[in-house]
Amino acid sequence: MMSAGIFSQVRLLHRRRDALRCTIHEGDKIMSFTTTRRAALVGTASLFAIGGRAMAQAAPITFGALPPLTGAGGPYGPAMLRAIQGVVAEANEAGGVRGRPIRLVFEDDQTNPDAGVRGARKLIDVDRVQALMGTWASSVTTGVAPLCWENRVPLFTVSGADSITLLPHQGYIFRTQPNSRLQIATGADYLIRQGARRVFHLAAQSPFAQSSQDTLVEKFRAAGGQVAGYIVYERDKTAFRSEVDQLLRARPDTVFLNGYLPDVTILLRELFRAGFEGRRFTPAYAVNANTFATLPNEVTNGVITWQPSPDEASPAFTRLKTRFGATEVDPYSAQTHDHATLAILAAAQALAGGAVPDAQLGTAIRDNVRRISQGSGESVSSVAAGLAAINAGRAVNFDGASGPVSFDERGDIQGTKFRYEQADGGRFRLLELI
Amino acid sequence: MADWRDLAQIALNGLFAGSMLMLPAIGFTCIFAVLRYPNFAVAGFATVGAFAGWLANAQFGLPAALALLAAFLAAGAIGLLAEELALKPLRPAGPLTVAIASVALTILLENMVRFAFGNDLRGYDLPILRDWRFDGIRVSPQQVENSLYAGAATASLFALLAFTRLGRAMRAVADNPTLADIKGVDPDRIARVTVFIGAGLAGFGGMLIGLDTSIDPLTGFRVVLSVFAAAVVGGLGSIPGAALGAMVVGVGEELAGVVLEPAYRTVTAFLAILLVLMFRPSGLLGARN
Repeated sequence: MMSAGIFSQVRLLHRRRDALRCTIHEGDKIMSFTTTRRAALVGTASLFAIGGRAMAQAAPITFGALPPLTGAGGPYGPAMLRAIQGVVAEANEAGGVRGRPIRLVFEDDQTNPDAGVRGARKLIDVDRVQALMGTWASSVTTGVAPLCWENRVPLFTVSGADSITLLPHQGYIFRTQPNSRLQIATGADYLIRQGARRVFHLAAQSPFAQSSQDTLVEKFRAAGGQVAGYIVYERDKTAFRSEVDQLLRARPDTVFLNGYLPDVTILLRELFRAGFEGRRFTPAYAVNANTFATLPNEVTNGVITWQPSPDEASPAFTRLKTRFGATEVDPYSAQTHDHATLAILAAAQALAGGAVPDAQLGTAIRDNVRRISQGSGESVSSVAAGLAAINAGRAVNFDGASGPVSFDERGDIQGTKFRYEQADGGRFRLLELI
Repeated sequence: MADWRDLAQIALNGLFAGSMLMLPAIGFTCIFAVLRYPNFAVAGFATVGAFAGWLANAQFGLPAALALLAAFLAAGAIGLLAEELALKPLRPAGPLTVAIASVALTILLENMVRFAFGNDLRGYDLPILRDWRFDGIRVSPQQVENSLYAGAATASLFALLAFTRLGRAMRAVADNPTLADIKGVDPDRIARVTVFIGAGLAGFGGMLIGLDTSIDPLTGFRVVLSVFAAAVVGGLGSIPGAALGAMVVGVGEELAGVVLEPAYRTVTAFLAILLVLMFRPSGLLGARN
């Protein structure tokens, strides 16, 4: 009886997922992107009119999207895909890349490395995509990345784990999310600018506790300050009095609460009780609206949070926001918007120098991403403007919705904006967006 | 750590932490004394109590003392219901089966709470007070108040056991169920009362933990290891033992912070269980066996 019940539930879940896929595929057709295999057969004759205009009779350039439409990333995946589709539609309306339309194929990575790898295989082997974009979970990206560099397909990702760009990826990975080291380093710089000299690092037990500590020590030493104490605490404790005692003894001017929501909530309460008057600094995911519901304002007032932020003042972000309408533009869809733009402009730049065989287009895109995203070229904020400039033979520097999108030699993003906010009377007040 | 104040502070923190563990440990040991199986569902009862108290306090505006009473009653009622529906039918299969079922029960209760209230943290509607300072030693008014509540609940339980007919019957069943039965004490009724009181105390303790911190569906589960350790250290089935064991575990966990990284603090609960089982299997105050 019981097992039959469970099975029928599982079946129901599967059915639901299929239903979800169908809807998305239908949406895809409505937008006139050909789906999957059929496009390979249609060749030239039935290349679909995109945006109402018939395309030139040229073979399309195919890109693959692998966002998490279901699973833990489910809340973000559909919007990430929508951002990519918007850019592709815009590029096609602008005439595509050197007359070649862009074709977008997508699979659901299910926030699951296994499904992600299967999806990537299909996109690379069957659809022969020239670039992959939109992987979200670090575990998925880690699984998919080797397939990409082995097949010379650039991978644009929003995953944050430090280890990803340390893979031997030969330049094929571009990451638009700051890695955790950069996030800590940026936070440390902010604190130093604010005059912090003695910081106490209270970290939840996690894979990034020690690397955060190393970064903090390096930064504060260089600034003539010091990390006055470092405790890795166990997250599941209900009381942290002894930890707070140790902290008070070290007399820090700033405490860096490097934990998660439940433990940081308890720590804020205990710091208040203990009469700690220094600066309290914590990642934005560790203090949110829920914290304000749990703790009285007098306890949370003054807490400073920071997080990487899309460049909300940028023209690219503003246009993406208009396109999304009522849907809020989260940092991930801002990033996938930039993934698609980067891939298309890099392909245009590669083809500007003459024909490139399809088998080498992936590598050519890899080699051209930095040429169109950084440097002294004309600043462009949309794929259409970028294509027009490249077609006119001008150098471009794409500034995206997520930020100025410049990559270092490992493929890590540089120059992402960070948002600093301070809790004040049960809400966040923006301090800085830099 | 040279200053005596540091040690005094640690001892004090430990005693407060112990007083938080005391009631769930007593509840656990009560149920063990009468029914002879370890009911790990005290974790679930503690969570249920914490949320019932939260409803009473933050939603219905009752003061903390009345909300604690609500926590006791709600957790007791849920405990009794769960015992009758889920655990009692398994008793003939032996204590191990019931113990395993109680682990399942705590997961079930935790998820029912999650279903009803979500995963968010919740705090009671109480002012957060600054600590008092005595010559550099910090004392939190909330913790003092909590210890008083815990002490009052324990004292009431002792009074019940020592001075009432019901209490004597409970002790009789704990001591020798067959003999108690012959003497006309209904062991089933006593079992029900004990489960109600035991689960209720766990709920009371769960709310005390919540008053000091904040609550979520894992509130009880986080402390269950320390609670179990306290009961074992004190001697399973001994109520004064559970109270003493809670203090030993509480102070031990804080003292361990001096020599160990705080991240390894939980190891002290395991160490306490290990040492007691090696050198004094009946526990500090346990007499049985």
